[in-house]
Amino acid sequence: MAITVKVMERPIGEASYVRATLKGLALTLKHLVDPHRVTIQYPEEKWDLSPRWRGTHRMLTTEDGTAKCVACGLCPTVCPANCIKLVPGEDEEGNRFPLVFEIDEFRCIFCGFCQEVCPEEAIHMGRHYENAEFNRARFVYDLERLTAQTHPVSELWDPAHPRGE
Amino acid sequence: MADVRMINLTIEGRPVTVPDGTTILEAAKTAGILVPHYCYHPGLPVAGVCRMCLVEVEKMPKLAPSCATNVGEGQVVHVYSEKALEARKGVLELLLINHPLDCPICDQAGECELQDYTFQEGRTDSRYREPKRFDPMEDFGGDVLYVTNRCILCTRCVRFMDDVHQEPVLCVAERGDRATIGKAPDADLTQPWAANVIDLCPVGALVSKDFLNKARAWELDRTASVCTGCSQGCNNVLESRDNVIVRMKPRSNEDVNHFYLCDAGRLDYRWMNRPDRVEVPKIRMHDVLSPVDWETAYDEAAKLLKGKRAFVVASPSLSNEALFLLKRVITQTGGEGVFRCETGFEAPLPGVPDLALRADRAPNVYGAELLGFQRHDINPLAGLKQGDVLVLAGETLPGLDLSATTRASAIIVIGTVHVDGIPTPSVVLPIANVAEEEGTFTNLRGRVQRFLQAKAAPGYVRPSWYAFADLATAVGANSDDMNLPSVIFSALAQSEPAFAGLSYDTIGLRGGLIAGATAGAH
Repeated sequence: MAITVKVMERPIGEASYVRATLKGLALTLKHLVDPHRVTIQYPEEKWDLSPRWRGTHRMLTTEDGTAKCVACGLCPTVCPANCIKLVPGEDEEGNRFPLVFEIDEFRCIFCGFCQEVCPEEAIHMGRHYENAEFNRARFVYDLERLTAQTHPVSELWDPAHPRGE
Repeated sequence: MADVRMINLTIEGRPVTVPDGTTILEAAKTAGILVPHYCYHPGLPVAGVCRMCLVEVEKMPKLAPSCATNVGEGQVVHVYSEKALEARKGVLELLLINHPLDCPICDQAGECELQDYTFQEGRTDSRYREPKRFDPMEDFGGDVLYVTNRCILCTRCVRFMDDVHQEPVLCVAERGDRATIGKAPDADLTQPWAANVIDLCPVGALVSKDFLNKARAWELDRTASVCTGCSQGCNNVLESRDNVIVRMKPRSNEDVNHFYLCDAGRLDYRWMNRPDRVEVPKIRMHDVLSPVDWETAYDEAAKLLKGKRAFVVASPSLSNEALFLLKRVITQTGGEGVFRCETGFEAPLPGVPDLALRADRAPNVYGAELLGFQRHDINPLAGLKQGDVLVLAGETLPGLDLSATTRASAIIVIGTVHVDGIPTPSVVLPIANVAEEEGTFTNLRGRVQRFLQAKAAPGYVRPSWYAFADLATAVGANSDDMNLPSVIFSALAQSEPAFAGLSYDTIGLRGGLIAGATAGAH
């Protein structure tokens, strides 16, 4: 028995692709001439980060270039991810300073508690996002590396606000 | 004590019954209420200078300092009434006027009473705008550093040195807002018990130079233990961080050391962390010590001891449990057990009865004697006969002529470190030190006290009771069931009449006296 195929009769206006193609081309043309552009030409152009952006850490330094940290131990205590390793020591003048200060940025959850809790305003979250490295060990930032960072730091609170210090 | 009148009063709505003459502060403690205080300390005479313990007592016209006010029948005391809280808030505000805000670098942070009470009851901010007083730090000698700025002049340290140590070295110098703690110019805090002022100081004014900047108080793991410095057996707390003991503090026990620990004891903890330990069992093969597994080492030791007399030189720093199992080895081989004890000067704490740094510088001298070990301080090896097997249990015999060891047919070393100056031992069994195992010591008054494990032992090290139980089994004195310190202690209590009736449950963490022990008996 032969198979009969039912062929639908459709009007040419619906079946033709010419109309849809022209519509698409019109949209493309519109975007070609429209000055509104959302694409950023990374890495030549960089995204403008929020002042509250919490990226990899930075340790601020005093005028003489040493870290502001006094090794009080609050950041490793408050850190929910347990990513800060701190060993306190004493310098020649008897001042407390961190002998070892390491942050494992892989383990860090970027909550910003360390910056919030720091009584010396030493450790800060950074407004920074380019962290690629060639091996895992490089993601454990030691004190030297944390102080050498130059990117801007996060503002977790508005300094202009009366309760924002 | 029977005819002491009992007083009934109400503290914060709770009925309290205490003996006549108790202070309100102590009575409140029995009701579970801690009245904030700085100058009061149960071990010191009452001074009443800090005014922190003010409470409201009904029908009294003014607030009463609870540390210096005795309880009265039917008193109604309000510790947390508005008036009392307001007064204590004022006291705290005045104390904080010149107290620096240096908690981040202060060693006391985390265990500071000023911090705690300010957090509980103080103001959230300061109204004081003027510059704070600044005085330089002063080295008080010994282990004590005085950070003048942090001092709140509670005078606990002054009263300790005057009344308890009875060496009046400290005083309150200057007057008014310039007052500080002063030290006699020609004296240092080097007295044998002087470092207790560090523990007594409620703030970070007197800090330990040894512990300075080493760790934060909240990072430490604390373990109840017993000081191994002398036969007094002071109760202490071993504080460790990352498996390293960093500090030793006294643990109060009215029957032994009250609240104190001598300087020699508190600074003698570094050996517990020493890295040059024996970490694997070793036996001698071709004149060289080679690592083997435990079973091989036990077998080798048993083979050496077979048919020989074991001459055991035990350390009086071994626990009762270890010595008890060691005794089984001695009995089984028909051997002999001796020990020697380092001796030194005796340094009593005058203000506390029967408390001293004792001449016998080992914790378990009495226990070793009770378990049948003979004391030979001068020449412990005198009894070593030709052909004996010498067993050095926890003992390294420092400073002795060890030529007699060549008389031994073999040497078995059971200890934490290698022994210098002897022929190569046939077997070396590594055991844990006091911080790494559990056990009991018997102090010179016959008080059996437990110590707990504070850190993990390195390598393949086993607790001493474990090693001795297996060794006893290997030589034929079956000790297979001796698998816990508490079990061993029960067996010890059953077979040794002196320890009869004692168990880990009954001695707890405050110690229990052996049968027939009386004060001054030993």
